[in-house]
Amino acid sequence: MCPATEAVLMEGELSSLPDAPVSGPDQAIRRLRAGDREAFADLMGLTEARVLALAWRILGDRHLAEDAAQETYLRAFRSLDHFRLGEPFEAWLIRIAVNVCRDLSRKRGQQPVALASLDGLEAGATAPGAEEAVLLDQRRALVRQALATLPQGERVALVLRDLEGLTSEEAARILGLRPATVRSQVASARAKVQAHCARRLAAPKGGRP
Amino acid sequence: MTHPHVLDQLPLWVEGDLTAPELEAVERHLAACPACREAADQLRQSQAWLREALASPFGAEDRARLRASVMARLAAPPPAPRRFLVPSALLAAAAVLVVAVLTWNRPQGKPAPLPTAGTGPEFTSRATAGATDIPAPAPPLPPRVRLARAAHAQAQLQVRQRPDGTALPRREPARLEFQTADPTIRIIWLAQATPLPDPNPTLEETP
Repeated sequence: MCPATEAVLMEGELSSLPDAPVSGPDQAIRRLRAGDREAFADLMGLTEARVLALAWRILGDRHLAEDAAQETYLRAFRSLDHFRLGEPFEAWLIRIAVNVCRDLSRKRGQQPVALASLDGLEAGATAPGAEEAVLLDQRRALVRQALATLPQGERVALVLRDLEGLTSEEAARILGLRPATVRSQVASARAKVQAHCARRLAAPKGGRP
Repeated sequence: MTHPHVLDQLPLWVEGDLTAPELEAVERHLAACPACREAADQLRQSQAWLREALASPFGAEDRARLRASVMARLAAPPPAPRRFLVPSALLAAAAVLVVAVLTWNRPQGKPAPLPTAGTGPEFTSRATAGATDIPAPAPPLPPRVRLARAAHAQAQLQVRQRPDGTALPRREPARLEFQTADPTIRIIWLAQATPLPDPNPTLEETP
């Protein structure tokens, strides 16, 4: 039994970096360096879904994520002369996006977790037809709240490793950490998310304390 | 009953982050321990919920808007360079200074004489001795300190000479002196980028 293979793959955008084609970004960058500015739109088309999702998962706010994605591409455009062809463009871009998100988080400061969306978790007084949809919404809100309570380092590591599909080594290179540190952060984050859900949901019994 | 040494490894086990021997040991234990197996199932469940809850909410429209926004920013002409404000500020400050000096000097008419040795009342008495024997009362101080520009005096210490008598080619500091209405107070302003000359130069200092 291999748990990783049983994990739910949510989107095609979560393909890991080594599997992602590198010719597309390289071709667009060559055109860009030849003076074709529209090639940057093609470059964005290859990566923007991933950058938006990454920023949203780290920041937890849709509008802030859009701002972060925009700033990521502007920084990437200004730094494109330093990018070496043949290297994984997405990893380079993700590194920029993570830095932008960290900057925005620092400017925003520590935000309190919104608890309003969880008020009805234990109520259970819903119409039979809508019960499943309500539970789904509540579960999503609960997990997002759990993610929001994580320290930033653990949260970023968890997003890169479990949601962006990077290996611990790839995430470590992006974050400038040792792979063992990333594994430790990710393990701590997974346990906290599970414990948070177990405390708030009545369905799972037992679990880790 | 769960086993802590296995529970500690489950967060790594759940995404395949254990080494092969560790993985084999954990799975052997899970096959024989229902309590730990339940904890492992819950961890897998929360990982599935994590992926479910954090599915990207952005669609094609959001991506197109982002692309259009970024391309518009790139196509926009670069912002005009900021005007260098320091010269303007310096000019304004210099103008204010000139006006202030001229305004201060105007009502005074005659600049106050430079003080010699002595105190304020003695100085006043000497200045009016030729007019009358009765010492004139000291003039009332104006609401602000009146400044009178003194001569641009080159102090003797500033003239530095070699032992053979030739002057040293040394740049002297800018010196400005003001005499306030109170003859005991004199304002001397020296400005130089390099250290000020030694008031008592010695032969060791000269090359």
